[in-house]
Amino acid sequence: MEAMVLKFVDAVRAAGLRVSTVEVMDCLNHLSLVDVLDEGQFATVLRSSFAKSYPERLRFDQLYHLFFHELRERLEPTSEPLADHAEALRQALVDAEPERAELGPIADFLVARPEAYLRLITNLSNPEPAQAAMGDQFGAGLSGIGPRLSVLMALDRVSPLLKAFLEENRHQIPYDLRRALEDEIRRRLSTARRLLLRVDQPLGRGPVEPRAAVADVYGDLGNTPFANLSPREMRRMSDTIATLVRKLRDSASRRFAARARGVPDLRGTLRAAMRTQGTPIVLKFRHKPQRKARILALCDVSSSVWSYARFTLTMLYALQDCFGRVRSFVFVDEPVEVTHHFDDHEVAQALQLVLKSPEITFEASTDYGRMLRLFESRHMDAVDKKTTVIIIGDGRTNYRDPAPTVLAEIRSHARRVLWLNPESSPFWHTGDSEMRTYEPLCNEVRPCQNLNQLAAFFHELVL
Amino acid sequence: MTKGPLKHFQDVDDARRTLESAGYVCTPDIATVVFLAAAGDKPILVEGPAGVGKTELAKAMATGLGYELIRLQCYEGLDEAKALYEWEYAKQLLYMQMVRENVNDLLAGADSLADAVDLIAAQADVFFSDRFLLPRPLLQAILSPTPVVLLVDEVDKSDPEFEAFLLELLSDFQVTIPELGTRRAVGVPLVVLTSNAFRDLSDALKRRCLHLYIDYPEADVEREIVRRQVPGLSEALARQMTSAMARIRRLELKKRPSIAETLDWARALINLQIESLSPEAVLATLSVICKYREDSDLVRKDLNGVVNL
Ligand SMILES: Nc1ncnc2c1ncn2[C@@H]1O[C@H](COP(=O)(O)OP(=O)(O)OP(=O)(O)O)[C@@H](O)[C@H]1O
Ligand SMILES: [Mg+2]
Repeated sequence: MEAMVLKFVDAVRAAGLRVSTVEVMDCLNHLSLVDVLDEGQFATVLRSSFAKSYPERLRFDQLYHLFFHELRERLEPTSEPLADHAEALRQALVDAEPERAELGPIADFLVARPEAYLRLITNLSNPEPAQAAMGDQFGAGLSGIGPRLSVLMALDRVSPLLKAFLEENRHQIPYDLRRALEDEIRRRLSTARRLLLRVDQPLGRGPVEPRAAVADVYGDLGNTPFANLSPREMRRMSDTIATLVRKLRDSASRRFAARARGVPDLRGTLRAAMRTQGTPIVLKFRHKPQRKARILALCDVSSSVWSYARFTLTMLYALQDCFGRVRSFVFVDEPVEVTHHFDDHEVAQALQLVLKSPEITFEASTDYGRMLRLFESRHMDAVDKKTTVIIIGDGRTNYRDPAPTVLAEIRSHARRVLWLNPESSPFWHTGDSEMRTYEPLCNEVRPCQNLNQLAAFFHELVL
Repeated sequence: MTKGPLKHFQDVDDARRTLESAGYVCTPDIATVVFLAAAGDKPILVEGPAGVGKTELAKAMATGLGYELIRLQCYEGLDEAKALYEWEYAKQLLYMQMVRENVNDLLAGADSLADAVDLIAAQADVFFSDRFLLPRPLLQAILSPTPVVLLVDEVDKSDPEFEAFLLELLSDFQVTIPELGTRRAVGVPLVVLTSNAFRDLSDALKRRCLHLYIDYPEADVEREIVRRQVPGLSEALARQMTSAMARIRRLELKKRPSIAETLDWARALINLQIESLSPEAVLATLSVICKYREDSDLVRKDLNGVVNL
């Protein structure tokens, strides 16, 4: 059983879950304490040792089912004469089209050795930096799709090759076995296909739920999508946002005022007092560096969000106005810092300045991957464990490489990564939206299309 | 892990029985993780949506085993002084006053200056001794002579610095108090950490823990919970309302109702003397289930679907 668990660990690691040796040892120890014939207990031991967050748990459950159920049956080396033929088939698949590198891992997968295939498809959604850079260099807008396409094509080759193999061996393999082999391989092929298509589907928002209840004070205006506002409503909206910001700023400053004074440090005072016969002459205060939310916002101002750009920028302005330490960037394919515009001007003027800024490459087409990479190389020092990174945008990146590893890297440096999307969630998984790639990489993703949603978001950020 | 007599629980089933004896309805998953954590001295990291019984699990462990429950609620800005220990300054001040007033008596017996200095120093030692130490939850858990369950609630709300400190504490269960020396736990406490995934916890902390995700309960588990916590609810109504709840949770709600809401709902239905769930009954009690107006609207739109007509 140990060998089987270790093999499973290989598969889990190949699929991108980080499992340390300590955890493997713990897991084996734990297995000796439970009834391993009770599958519930067996699975729980593995799960609680290897999957340490909600998204990991979802991924784990897929892999567990794949490894212990879908691939376990029927082709067990010892169980059936099928196994011999399966091995021959694997060889045939590999030899048939040696130039198609993807066929190797696929063939392994079909005979219940899933690690290589899992690694292959995991790397598709987390391209190595070198690979990603190369895609960029060749200007291949398809770099995100290309490799996936070649895996899909390789999968498509299996069916005809399987047919040919069975035809060739029609005299060596009895009819029943041929049928059984064909069924089994086809079943696994569809599993392989499903894994490929499912692997970068959103893993769900996890247990994050909006906390603060914000009363529905803005009425219809609050529920009207930003994109549908009439000019008059727009003006009202700007006023309303300004009021909202003022209110929030007040409550935030009340909250921090007490702390800013510093708390009396009795311990320090007493220590000092011992020197003066117990009379506290010198009062000591503790000035704990107070923790104000440090925010870094990245805002998409490209044409696909042009109709919302006014509002996303107003949001950004409001953010900066409301929270002391905010750095604001806007981007199309390159991040440009606009903090100073917002600091120095009132909102309408600041928006004009930003929207006319010669630094911003408005004519370029949106490229989130490039933006993220440039951000990483130029501004990463602005992100630390106390920084909440907020990305505002639709995640539509013109089918270019979305560079998820870079976002993951940013997240690992930040306190949290939040994403506000001006589109409603049913559209996130359509066309060139990469939200399915980005969603699992963020702590929280939420639609932000109207004032109520914006207000709720700000509210939670302050609390 | 040492072989030999297992700590706290005999086996998985014993863990289940213990939790159930405390009124906690327990899935096999939960029982297994609790058993393993206890056997291997590992903290449990519990995640899940609000109100699914994360905190309750720790309470049930304590009640079931007859251990004391020590709870540390985390929040932004929580520091060691609030979590570990503080000195009782007021008492120290009083004591200092006393020493000062009696310093002449105290020094009466001193023959030389050196003696006098020693006498004063002895008084100063008392100043930072157990007598004036105010243990906060973490130190309480370490100093407790009897076994305890330590609940570190909402650890994701604390700062990364505090998390690092906690990790250190969880790995050796000893603290060094500069003035007093090192204190080591008599027995390793059973530790339960809860998180709402407000922010990511560090890999190091996650590696240290067994992970348990508690989701909204299956309808029959929830029925059992309701039956236990709300006596007087008929079996039929319990069945109807828990499956209605499962359907409500499948709607695209802003805030999905938790077990706490199910319990409130059951009590409301009893108070209104409703015996069977109808669309009208749901409508009358909707405010108990949904906290947002939009959510109420969604449920109202699909009343028949919710009660499965
Ligand atoms: N398995 C269970 N058995 C019995 N009662 C339960 C169970 N699960 C939850 N409850 C009840 O549900 C209510 C909510 O549980 P609890 O407060 O522990 O939730 P929580 O997950 O800690 O929520 P939060 O994330 O808001 O802190 C409690 O009143 C508890 O009694
Ligand atoms: Mg709780």
